[in-house]
Amino acid sequence: MSWGDLLAILQGAVVTVTLSFAGILIGSPVGLALAVLRWADVPVAARAVAVYVSILRATPLVTLLLLLFFALPNIGIAVDPISAAILALVMSTAAFNCEVWRASLMNFPKDQYEAAQSVGMNATLRFRRILLPQIARASLPGLVNEMSLLIKVTPALAVVGVVDITRAAVRIGAETYEPLPPFLVALALYVPIVFILVSLQRWIERRQIRAEAA
Amino acid sequence: MTTVSNTCNPVSRRLTLGLAAALLAVPALFGSAQAASMDEIKSRGLIVATEDDFRPFEFVKDGKATGFDNEMIEDLRKYAPFEIKQQILPWTGILAGVSTGKYDAAITAVIITKERLASLDFTSPIADATHYYVKRKDDKSISSIKDLNGKTVGVQAGSALLARLPELGAMLEKQGGKLGKVVEYTSYPEAYQDLALGRVDYVVNTVVNLQTMVAEKPGVFELGQAVSGKSFPAWAVAKGNTELLNFLNGFIAKEKETGRFAELQKKWFGESFPSLPVKWDPEF
Repeated sequence: MSWGDLLAILQGAVVTVTLSFAGILIGSPVGLALAVLRWADVPVAARAVAVYVSILRATPLVTLLLLLFFALPNIGIAVDPISAAILALVMSTAAFNCEVWRASLMNFPKDQYEAAQSVGMNATLRFRRILLPQIARASLPGLVNEMSLLIKVTPALAVVGVVDITRAAVRIGAETYEPLPPFLVALALYVPIVFILVSLQRWIERRQIRAEAA
Repeated sequence: MTTVSNTCNPVSRRLTLGLAAALLAVPALFGSAQAASMDEIKSRGLIVATEDDFRPFEFVKDGKATGFDNEMIEDLRKYAPFEIKQQILPWTGILAGVSTGKYDAAITAVIITKERLASLDFTSPIADATHYYVKRKDDKSISSIKDLNGKTVGVQAGSALLARLPELGAMLEKQGGKLGKVVEYTSYPEAYQDLALGRVDYVVNTVVNLQTMVAEKPGVFELGQAVSGKSFPAWAVAKGNTELLNFLNGFIAKEKETGRFAELQKKWFGESFPSLPVKWDPEF
């Protein structure tokens, strides 16, 4: 392995982090929106969300991605590898996030919500001031769990030509016929990425505890 | 919760049937894809797909795509009066991408087979792809084809090499043996690694790929004998895209004429193949 190879894996790390970040950043709020639609039992939409979540949770990411990448151009939508990869990540992670959010919504004490109603808060304010801060806290461990899983499925995106950490490592192995060193480097890169994510979760939780104590 | 009940009510049955119909409609969508005409290519550029882990044809060194096909593409950029757009992706998506029209041409070593001719057209061959086997250097139990009897073989999934294994099976049966267990890999680097680790006893690939690999790792691997008849790799375009096929064949003919073709073959394959056919009709 040369320095150039190492640099190539680091470039792969930038791709892995960027795509994961995009998937998390879009997928989490979309998941929340889907969960609220189901929780509020919006006619038709609630049912559609249920079907969407069931199908997406049963679809492997690679299959979904290949379908998007090769089928969308047939209906006139040009899609490049990166957009197809982000779309597949978001579609998949939103379905899982929806269920995490929904679990906290279902456990949310109804009396608090009714109390807010009785003091005349409108629906938007109730959601922002009462509901969201509490369900966000309850959902955090589940969401971070899903995020770390998302980071680790990114190698599947390589199938359409995205070069993430693992693909960069595979390429080096194919050139040197020595696949072990690049894979060790790859592994050493995933560990800190997920560690940073989990540390962030700990930090938010500690901050909340301190805020409550104050 | 979604209602997933075992009792088959009419609504869920209709839903299931609808989903099944939708799934069946997907291949129809794929089938309707149109290959781009030469006029279209001239205006938007030629989109070619190459692999990234198929040394010596295409591979990545220090983050840069290189190998025989990549140098050919460099020449193609000078030859073509339009832009060449290159996509680099694993083998898995390449042929599907060409037959659905996502890419205009697969500039990689696609072995010409009867089955692939149903959905693809091929240019003039770019190398000799006679199939050979490679074994561990320290494995004394294999010295000729007949020793492969019952041994575990590693080969790439969805490859022409896998499709032509029955040929080796027939060779073995003639000598009273039979083909052993077949292990399929998504790409060759994993197969070589498993061979080195002893999980498979030999790996079948084209002579060019194996010679390059053995030259790089002479202490670990040893090249065996041919396990197939004649076989040639070429570039692929969607079935019926004759204009593009003629254009690429014209390019290859010119590269042969100027001696550049032989020069690149010598550089990447260690030998040039002066007697390659211009057009190849495969038996298999």
